[in-house]
Amino acid sequence: MAPLPPRSGDAVFANIERVNAELFSLTYGAIVRQLLTDLEEVDEVNKQLDQMGYNIGVRLIDEFLAKSNVSRCADFKETADVIAKVGFKMFLGVTASVTNWDADGMSCSLILEDNPLVDFVELPDTCQGLYYCNILSGVIRGALEMLCTSY
Amino acid sequence: MIVSVAVVGQQNNPLYLQSFTEAGDELKLHHIVHCSLDVIDERVNNPKKNWPTLNETFLGLLYPSENYKVYGYLTNTKVKFILVTNEIDVKDADMRNFFRRFHTAYVDAVSNPFHVPGKKITSRSFAVRVSAIVKSFESGSNA
Repeated sequence: MAPLPPRSGDAVFANIERVNAELFSLTYGAIVRQLLTDLEEVDEVNKQLDQMGYNIGVRLIDEFLAKSNVSRCADFKETADVIAKVGFKMFLGVTASVTNWDADGMSCSLILEDNPLVDFVELPDTCQGLYYCNILSGVIRGALEMLCTSY
Repeated sequence: MIVSVAVVGQQNNPLYLQSFTEAGDELKLHHIVHCSLDVIDERVNNPKKNWPTLNETFLGLLYPSENYKVYGYLTNTKVKFILVTNEIDVKDADMRNFFRRFHTAYVDAVSNPFHVPGKKITSRSFAVRVSAIVKSFESGSNA
């Protein structure tokens, strides 16, 4: 069988099962609130969210590769583009934009214009250091760690 | 002109009060809002034939005092929205429209996971939205 061409994020998102956005936002909000109540320290909650995201990421990467059929990325720039355009679109339904590349091409910023995780959310003054979407950074870290074979 | 809006909770605890006049008669507005709560309780507990039925959200004109008119709106969770205006003639449809948009803004504010139900609404974006709704209501009625 001929290898399948890589599918764009929109095409995958159209065929995948979806969940109500409000339910998703409210569930994530409940998770963060519960973590804040249990752990009380904003830094602890950030760490825990990152850890949760990591556990999701190591499992998510296989599903991502299976559904989207992207080929190997040549360099980190391509990796960032694939994450932003295909990965986020497939799982969150929104695309991110990649900006703020540094001189080495070693770090960049992924900007989410409308993030379904943060619908209705307003951080109170007591939680100003909270990285509310830290689960996303954990997911990316977990997914990329599973791909990294030799460095 | 809309003088103030208020959100009152199920146990008649105030959740939100914002006034739009420069004069500092906040206490008087509190008082008016409090008095109108009695009228709402009366209507809720004794539904009569000429008053709205039990599942009507918009309660209409609660009572006209010498300078002000007070309008009420009851959500299905027994949260009350109260509007105080000193305009002479206000259309019913405009009022309903205002309360509908206010209800939407309230629902979005309450969906914030950091909002504790029963505590005061501290969301700044809610205040901004309410001010915008009030402004558009006034410009609409003056146009």
